Amino acid sequence: MEDAGFILGSYFLTFATVGLFAWRTLRSGRKLADQIPDDDKYWL
Amino acid sequence: MNTPESIPTTSNDGSDMDLSPRTNVDGTAVGVKRKRNVVPLIVLAMVFVAGGVIVTQFLTSAVDYYCNVDEVGVRDGCDGDRRIRLQGTVDKGSVDIANGVTAFTISFNGEHLPVRYEGQPGGIFRECLPVVVHGVIDNGALLGDRVEVRHSDEYVSVNDERVADAQDLGCDAGSA
Amino acid sequence: MTTIDPARTELQPSEPPPQRRSTGTRATRLVGIGCITAMGWLVAFGLGFSPADRDQKESVRILYVHVPTIWLAYLAFVVTAVSSGLYLLTKKQSLGWDRVAGASAEIGVAFVAVTLAVGSLWGRLTWGVFWQWDARLTTTALLFVTYIGYLAVRRLGGSHQQRAKRSAVLGMIAVIEIPLVHFSVKMWRSLHQEATVANLDGDTKMDGIMLFSLFVGVIAFTFLYVWLMLHRTRAMAMEDMLEDRGLDDALIARRAEAANQQNGAH
Repeated sequence: MEDAGFILGSYFLTFATVGLFAWRTLRSGRKLADQIPDDDKYWL
Repeated sequence: MNTPESIPTTSNDGSDMDLSPRTNVDGTAVGVKRKRNVVPLIVLAMVFVAGGVIVTQFLTSAVDYYCNVDEVGVRDGCDGDRRIRLQGTVDKGSVDIANGVTAFTISFNGEHLPVRYEGQPGGIFRECLPVVVHGVIDNGALLGDRVEVRHSDEYVSVNDERVADAQDLGCDAGSA
Repeated sequence: MTTIDPARTELQPSEPPPQRRSTGTRATRLVGIGCITAMGWLVAFGLGFSPADRDQKESVRILYVHVPTIWLAYLAFVVTAVSSGLYLLTKKQSLGWDRVAGASAEIGVAFVAVTLAVGSLWGRLTWGVFWQWDARLTTTALLFVTYIGYLAVRRLGGSHQQRAKRSAVLGMIAVIEIPLVHFSVKMWRSLHQEATVANLDGDTKMDGIMLFSLFVGVIAFTFLYVWLMLHRTRAMAMEDMLEDRGLDDALIARRAEAANQQNGAH
């Protein structure tokens, strides 16, 4: 594939960014969920 | 985050009493500025600076990014005696690369202008595609120091039968 | 404001209550599976099945992540504006709307960052430059910076309602930048090409499999947006609860101290 570095780099950059965002969101959610009783978690 | 001011100042028995918490919610002493409020302020300051730079760039560069070839000396802001950004389609058969210099002509609305560029243009540069050349006009030729290739809003597969026709069409139109 | 009775929430070491340690539910797991599947399809179509372009050759493959991320960012900022409006205009002034607005803006900023980053790589391959101050790029940069400012304003402090009010006003104003960005290529001369799909002509100038690949990208990032929204709004609700609980704890401690002082005086 011509210009593979740029093209694959674009996909890597995209998935790395959204993956990091998703991981941080999950991690912070878990930390917070530890401190909140289930009764107050409206989504349960 | 609640501030101490938002807390009721009467005790359970109704008598007046100082019930303000001794600490902030995050555990720091009252009156001591919480660290995490400084960061948003710094970010906001940076946002204002960046916003100023962007708006300045918008007003000085982004509004009407280029002049067309046929507007040189005609349209306001397209004077030929100062640095200019000119847009036109690279004429078919005009590209000549020799001794590290790329020479070609660009055209728009029937007006043609020779371009001389030190180096080889990047991007998808080729004949029949519109380009924006930055430079100065000297002796009826544009001495370019930057070439940017514009591409159309049309996406056609390389396998498509219409490719050859479409490429020629780009040259014939000369008005991208 | 949500308040918690600290006595009720205090953990007893002898009998720890069973805790669900995440913001996940069956719905988020389903959306997550849909997201991963669609992302797999995006990679397959974007990098494999879709053909190269007549002019741009292989570099056109960047389009399948560049365009969906900015479209979803537009959607995210519109959701921020609508939620802000619902917060301000409804009688209850529910903080739930404020959290939806905040979470959506966070995701939108992340998506615009991706758009700008991969767009610059695409620009280098097609235009020959990473960046240029043309109308589309400049207005997109302004959009990005504005919403970073919005997120900073949300963290300035004050009560939840103060945070919600000031950010709601900003969220409703900032959204007017979206038409400015989208139509910048129409309003001014730009290095960036005009819209291929989301244009007013109703004419989609893109070959079938390319268009399908773009569609797969939009589906994948829509799944991702929904998944992130569900998790992030729940996390934000817990952040607010914990801040309220911290305040309640401080208040109770102070009241107890005051009562002790009174008893001592008698």
